[in-house]
Amino acid sequence: MIDVASITALADSVFFWGAFTFMVAVAIAGLGALRLALKGEAVTSLMGVSAITTAAGVSLYIIQIIFEVEFARDTAIALLVLGAVGTIIFARLIRMEEGE
Amino acid sequence: MISEIFVIIYGLAIIAFVAWNVKRGTFIIEPSKLIPSLIIVFVLLVIFLVFNGVPLDTALGIVGRIGAGGIMFAGTVPMIGAAVGLFRFGDEYGPSIFYARNHITGIIDTVASLVMIFGGLLIFRLDLVAVGFFFFILIPFCGNALANAYYYSYHRRLEK
Repeated sequence: MIDVASITALADSVFFWGAFTFMVAVAIAGLGALRLALKGEAVTSLMGVSAITTAAGVSLYIIQIIFEVEFARDTAIALLVLGAVGTIIFARLIRMEEGE
Repeated sequence: MISEIFVIIYGLAIIAFVAWNVKRGTFIIEPSKLIPSLIIVFVLLVIFLVFNGVPLDTALGIVGRIGAGGIMFAGTVPMIGAAVGLFRFGDEYGPSIFYARNHITGIIDTVASLVMIFGGLLIFRLDLVAVGFFFFILIPFCGNALANAYYYSYHRRLEK
């Protein structure tokens, strides 16, 4: 007979540390994107900001899952959706400003 | 103590396997064989837990959480690789390095959305799956719009 409580704790531990490791990796990638956003020209900065919104959105969603902070999910959804849509719109504006 | 040792071994094994795939530049085990094998292993694990007295929904939750943790461990390696690429490829490589950076940020977006989709499926969080799928749909348009804007702005600057 298997002890359900101990094996549930094992699964929770695996999930928590997996999510935590992924969040650390996303934060490191976000630092690289921040460097890109700060030093480049307009389109490169836009690309870096887009990657930062992705990193922040995914991290917030994971925070909502593992720590059950409810407002983080709404912020994450707004960041992920509006970040991608805003990048497309601003890229289009930059292209039109440059001569088309 | 045993659970911590299991987490370390499980995480390191998955990270090492993904890093080995990345280093080789191709799949060591074809996804058409790997994914069905993993599904069969998880189903066998659920059956084993059910036959040992664990309720079915609890067994599914346990196996799903272990699988979702594994997917997040697997997503760590491409994220670190993307970060290394973003720090490494500076402006000294010329104007076309923009497209390499565009590819790298595309990797960040893709890995994030795939982790959201498959992790959400395994822990039965359909809101996570929906947002990840919507984001996954938007990624190619985003990258294409950025590359398009850079291409035309660069040619405009050349003409000036």
